[in-house]
Formats: sequence, structure tokens, C-alpha cells
Amino acid sequence: MSDSVLELQNVCKTYGDFTAVDDVSFTIPAGMVYGFLGPNGAGKTTTIRMILEIIKPTKGSISVFGKPSALAVRERIGYLPEEKGLYKKMRAWSIIAYFATLKGMDRKAAKRRAYELLERYGLKDFADAKTEALSKGMGQKVQVLASIAHDPELIILDEPFSGLDPVNQEVMEEVIRDLKERGRTVLFSTHVMSHAERICDRILLIAGGKKVLDDTIDGARKTIPRRVRVASADPLDFLAELDAVVGLVPAETIVAIGSEKLLTFDAQLSDKGEPIDVVKACLERGVHLERFDYSPPSLHEVFVELVGDKAKEASFR
Amino acid sequence: MRPILLIALREFAENAKTKGFWIGLFLFPIIIFASIFVQELLEESTPTRNYVVVDQSGLFEEVIEDSMASMRRAELLRAIGEYQSEYAKDKPKLSDIDLEKVAAPDLMGETEAIEQATKSFGDELELLLGEQGLDAVLAQMKPLLVEDAPAFERPRPRFRRVALPEGIDASLPLTELAEELRPYLRGDRKVAGGEAVDGQVELFAAVLIPADIEQELESPGDAMAAMMAAGGQAEGAATERRGIQYWATNLADEDLKGRIDRAVTSEVHRKEYLARGMDAEQVADVRDIKVPLFSLNPNKSVGEEEVSMADKIRQWAPVGFVYLLWIAIFSISQMLLNNTIEEKSNRIIEVLLSSVTAGELMMGKLVGIACVGLVMITVWMGSLLTILKLSAGPEAEFPNMLLDVLQSGGLIPAFIIYFFLGYLLYSGLFLAIGSVCNTLKEAQNLMGPVMLIMMVPIITMMFIPKDPNGTLARILSWIPLYTPFTMMNRASADPPMVDVVGTLILLVAFTAFTLWAVGRIFRRGILRTGQPPKIRELFTWLRAE
Ligand SMILES: Nc1ncnc2c1ncn2[C@@H]1O[C@H](COP(=O)(O)OP(=O)(O)OP(=O)(O)O)[C@@H](O)[C@H]1O
Ligand SMILES: [Mg+2]
Repeated sequence: MSDSVLELQNVCKTYGDFTAVDDVSFTIPAGMVYGFLGPNGAGKTTTIRMILEIIKPTKGSISVFGKPSALAVRERIGYLPEEKGLYKKMRAWSIIAYFATLKGMDRKAAKRRAYELLERYGLKDFADAKTEALSKGMGQKVQVLASIAHDPELIILDEPFSGLDPVNQEVMEEVIRDLKERGRTVLFSTHVMSHAERICDRILLIAGGKKVLDDTIDGARKTIPRRVRVASADPLDFLAELDAVVGLVPAETIVAIGSEKLLTFDAQLSDKGEPIDVVKACLERGVHLERFDYSPPSLHEVFVELVGDKAKEASFR
Repeated sequence: MRPILLIALREFAENAKTKGFWIGLFLFPIIIFASIFVQELLEESTPTRNYVVVDQSGLFEEVIEDSMASMRRAELLRAIGEYQSEYAKDKPKLSDIDLEKVAAPDLMGETEAIEQATKSFGDELELLLGEQGLDAVLAQMKPLLVEDAPAFERPRPRFRRVALPEGIDASLPLTELAEELRPYLRGDRKVAGGEAVDGQVELFAAVLIPADIEQELESPGDAMAAMMAAGGQAEGAATERRGIQYWATNLADEDLKGRIDRAVTSEVHRKEYLARGMDAEQVADVRDIKVPLFSLNPNKSVGEEEVSMADKIRQWAPVGFVYLLWIAIFSISQMLLNNTIEEKSNRIIEVLLSSVTAGELMMGKLVGIACVGLVMITVWMGSLLTILKLSAGPEAEFPNMLLDVLQSGGLIPAFIIYFFLGYLLYSGLFLAIGSVCNTLKEAQNLMGPVMLIMMVPIITMMFIPKDPNGTLARILSWIPLYTPFTMMNRASADPPMVDVVGTLILLVAFTAFTLWAVGRIFRRGILRTGQPPKIRELFTWLRAE
């Protein structure tokens, strides 16, 4: 478990004056499922391409399975690129088998494996169809299967969930979980936090080409203050005065129950503050609470909190 | 090595699935097949042409009849000859024929040649080829033929005279006569005659000779005088059509017209000789005297200087090979572009490049496309030889002889080398173009100039054998893009050693350089999105590490 599968040291990539990836370092140990998060244009795809040696880093070093070149260990890596595409005239099974043989698999074994995978993940009926006859999502599934057909130890998936319906998103999660169960290492990028939350051991967050966070899910949650969400028809301003509360921010929109308008606030707790302090204060003042919610922040909130500004900035670049 | 083979295999399989591949594969044999067999078929299926002759002068009817009869005799003789050689017991083996010794054929057709040769035996032949005469001939021939030879069938005559349709008065003025015949000539009505079931056949042509034809005879002096007299107003004469009228809707088949023209003219000449007190027979004899003329080639050893069939083959075979190379390159260009651009536009390229190096990918593609070329050439050559074999009869050794001839000239190795290098060079270019483009449209823009460059060998292909060591040929030979075509074109003309060795070295060096450069361009271009790079940018790619 302890040997690292992938190691990046001070990796930079510049396009002209623009720095797409800025001094990123991280290490992925074997058997981990790593979520690679970041706003649009953060440099995720660029980083992944550098790992796979499709483009060369401007600076820094990358080692995969202890080798400086991913091509030297290509049969141990599986890759699903961000932009999906298949040979239109080839059949689903043969495309899977072809990529598997390119990765060093025996031709017969590759064919058998292709059929096996297609059956297992619900594409049995399309095994012999030309890929141009598949829908986009089906094609994408075929491509995912093609990337794992040679049973690689490290699987790198760039946005594997995009374009899939909810059911197939679950299938995709299942694929990743299966890989994890068999001790494989997975690095995948996504914009849907709930997937990352459900299946990742750790997440790696980058923004503007720089690493922002590399932690477990719990660790990531701890990076933003604890808070309770309260809703009431009565004014709640007094909460800001409490010792236990450091900040009070209006949250969500105003919700109406019956004729009454509810105001919802997030009360951020101080280090020593506890949720019960908020409840007590309300009872003392006879404030009627319609809603009280204390749960750890979601990854979504962490994301918005940590890189929200950067994401907006990037969209105007 | 394995990835290269795998990529080559897929590339080959992919191309083998395209329509272009199969069209390319079969087009060539079909063209050859067509050019050999369709001609025969056409000859066999052309119906007998029926014509009418109205000779109001009464001067030429007979000579026309004679001429047509002579033609018919030649036809029959030819058919008998073919019949005999087809079913002869001991057929002369084709392999006994030495193409090196056979003189290159004249352009005259076989039937005409027979007619010329038998000209003076008209009457005897007429007898021999009549019903009984022919039976006797065939009976004599019988022992020499194989047992199961079928009976001889008289070939259909090419032309047959039919009578003027009933109700048309042969003495009408020509304009009215022509008017009457018009519906028949246009196929609206049929004339009686021939073997057709209902005794009705189509009229092919009408020959109308006016009564006063003798006043219309022209000689160059007369024409000049007439021009002078008319003061340059020559148009009037044309509209009057005072002469023999040959009416036919078919403008392509002019044999009948030519024959009638010749027959009438020679009759007029004969009369003129008589009128001028010359002996027509003697004049005819004199005109048959021929000066022997041999084509000789100073490059060949003493005693064998005569230009033979083999020499002709050697001279023109290279043109065929140039054409083959051209077609091969032309048909792969689309495949290479399509496949590379598909990979680029679908971004399959990323998966590929995470599995193989750009160099391996390029080599794989080249090997794959080379296999496509190899299959094409093999099929083409195979079908060419098979068709030749079929058309020359089952035991014929003609294809082998053809190969021998080519071999003896040292042409085959030259073809293989030039073909290989040319193919590689152009495949490399197409690959480079494919790698820097994202859409077929972009690629086609870039292909424009390349196609222009490629037109040159096709245009010069037919000229170069006529002046194989001339300035144009030599200049083109030293341009590497044209070396394979031009040197192949010149291969049988003993080009100077400097040209052979020099251009080959240049070609090899240039091809190697191109592939190296293409490798660099490919590596960068293949991942590139957006506009194709500028030329200047390409040079920086070449220089950069
Ligand atoms: N070939 C290139 N030339 C110039 N700039 C590039 C190139 N490729 C990427 N970039 C820039 O690098 C930055 C990072 O791009 P990258 O594709 O890595 O982002 P990403 O994190 O994958 O974003 P997304 O979530 O939208 O896929 C972007 O700002 C992009 O404009
Ligand atoms: Mg991306």
C-alpha cells in the first residue's frame, strides 16, 4: 500500500506566457481512489496529459511506477481522455480488443475480455455493433471499458461521468468501486462533487494551475468552519452576538410555509462553540425554530468556498 | 515492433473496408478487361450494316460491288485462318515465338492486310470461297484439325447492299431521293432484305451518285481556278453538294464511306489513265511497288538491330508502370488523410499516444498503407497476367514471355525500387498533411497544391518515351518528387549512368529526409487543435528538439 504509484514534483506547463499548470506536486499511493477536482481551466486535463506523456512538462519531473516515462509502463496504465471518441467503423468489441492489444495483451485474450466486459456492464447486445451506431453515452462506456480491458494497475479517467445518464453514472461508479476492490489505483477528474464524495479516498483540488488541497474527504470538510443551518419566521440577528458564533450568513432563498416567510441562515461556529449553544440561545429568547440542521459541509460547499472566486475569474478570462 | 504491426494491421483492415480500396482494386483489371474484350465483343455484336447504292451515272456501281466483294473475301479468309489456328492439331506454341524477332506490327488492321496481300487473286479466291469451294477447303483442312473441332461458320458480313425500298424511284433528282430515304435512314422505317425474321432490316447508309458526276471531278488546279473565279465566295459551292452523297446517321463508323470513296476514286483514276493514254494495269502495278523500310536501333548488337515487338513492349511498358504508381499513390492519399483525420477529430489520438509513441504510430501507418499498396499491385499484376493468359488461350505462355521481355531489359528491379521509394515519399507527405489538419476540408485545401504537383507526371508520361533523354526528362528526373515517375518512364532508354545513380541517391536521401521531417511534424501536428500551422511554424518544428 505504501509504495507510490504516481509522483509529481514541481510540475509546470506553460503555453507561451500563460501558465496552465504551476508548480504542482503530489503523490498517489497504490490502491487509492483519487478525485481530481478543480474549476474549468484549472489545469486538470493538462496535468493528466503530462502524466501520460502525451505532452511534455515545461519543468518538473513525473514518475509513474518509479519510471520517468509513462510509455515504459504503458501496459500498467489505463487512460480515458476528456474528449471521447471511437473509430466509427469498428465494432465495439474489436475496438476494446484493439486498444488492449496495443497495451500488450494477447489478441485472443483481448477478444474474450472485450466480450466479458461488455456483458458485465450491460452492453452485451451492442458488442457487435459498429460504434457509429451507439449513442454517445454507450460509446463512452465502450471507451471506458477499452481503457480498463488490459487490467491496468493505474487508471486515469478524465471526466468519466460527463454525458452519462443517472443510471449509467451509477454503473460508472460501480466500475470504479470494482477497480478499487481489486486493489487498483484510480485517478479521475470530475465536476460532480457527489461522485467524488461517494467513491474517493482522497481528493486533489487545483485552481489556476496551483494545488489548493490534497486531503481525505473528511480532511477536506474540516478546511471550512463548522456551521449550523437555522430557519425561523422570527428575526435571528441576535445569533451573531453569541460567543459560539463567528459569523451569520443568509443562506438559500426565503422559503414560505403557509403564510409565514422563513429566513434561513448559516451560523458559523467558533472553535469552542457547539451547536447546542445556538439551540439554547433560541429557547431562551422564545424563538420558534422551524429548521435546525447540523451536518458537516458537503464537498460542494468546500469547493465553492475554496475555489469559487477562482472559478468565476476563470470564466471571465 | 509489436505496436507498429498492430497499428499497421488495423490500418490495413480499416482501408480494406472502404469502397475506395475495392474500387481502386478492381478498376484497373476492369479497364484492361474492357479494353481487350469489349473490342472483340463490339466487333462480334456489331450488326451487319445495310446500305443502298443509287448510281444514276451507272459508272461506279460495279467497282463498288467489286470492292465490297473483295472485303468480304478478306473477312472470310481471316475467319478461316482464325478457325484453323484455333483448332489446329499441333498449334504453334506461343513460346516458340520470339518477340525479340517479331517485327513491330504496322497500324493496319488484319483484314486490310489480308486484302492487300490477296489483291491479285480475286477471281480464284471468289471460286475458292464459294459454297463448294469452301467445303472443299474445309474438307482438306479437316485432318489437320483436332477431332472435336466444330463446323466452320461463315462470319456475318460487315456490310450488305440492299435494294432500294419499293416505291422509290431511283431516277428522281438526288435531293428528292434523299428526302424519300430519310425516314429509312433515321430508323423510322425499315427496308426489305437480309436474314431478319420478317425480312425487314434497318438502313445504315445510302450512297447517292448523281448522273453528272463526271462533270464534278476536281483536281487541285481546278479548285484553285474555281476559287479565283468565285472571288473567294466559296460558300455557295458547299450548299449545292454537287457530288456523291453519303447519308448516314452514324458518324463514328466511317469504314463504308472510306471504302466507297477509295473504290470510286480509283475507278476515276483508271479512266483518267486510259484517257491520257496510259496503261491502267501498269499504273496499278507500279503503285503496288513498295519500298522496304526497317526500323533499326543503333544501341542493339549487329544483326539484331531491327526494332522488334519486344523493343516496343520495352518502350511502352514503363508508361504502364508510371500509371500504376500514380494510381496507387492517388488512391492511398484519401485513405491516409481520412484515417489520420478521424483519429485527430475524435481525439482517439490521445488514447493511441498513451499506448504507443508518435514514431511507432507513424511507422505503423506507413507499413499499413504499404501493405494496401502491395495488395493492390499484386492484384493488378495478377489480374493483368491472368487476363492476358485468358485472352491468349489456355496454354499460352504470353504472360511469361511478357515478363521475360521486361526482365531482360532490367526493368523489373527498377520498377520495384522506384515504386517503393515513390510510394513511401508520397505517403509521408500525405501523413504530414493529415497530421496538421483537423478536418477533411482543411486537408483538401492543403492537398490542392500536392495534386497539382502530381499532375505533372501524368501529363509528361506520354511525351517522355518519345524523347527519353531529352532536357525535360532529365530535369524532371532530378526533382526528387518526380524521380520515381520520370526515371521509370526512361528506364528502357538507357539513360546516362549519372542520371540513374545520381537521381537514385538524391531520391533516397530526400525520402529519408522527408520521413524524418514528417516524423517531427507528425509528432507535433497530431496533438494540435485549431488552425493548421504556417509554413514558418513548420520550420521551427523541424529545428526544435
Ligand atoms: N494547447 C493549449 N494551448 C494554449 N493554452 C492551453 C492549451 N491547452 C490548455 N490550455 C490552457 O490551459 C488551461 C488549463 O486547461 P485544462 O484543459 O487543463 O483545464 P481543465 O482543468 O481540464 O478544465 P475543464 O474542467 O474545463 O476540462 C486552460 O486555461 C487552457 O486555456
Ligand atoms: Mg479538462
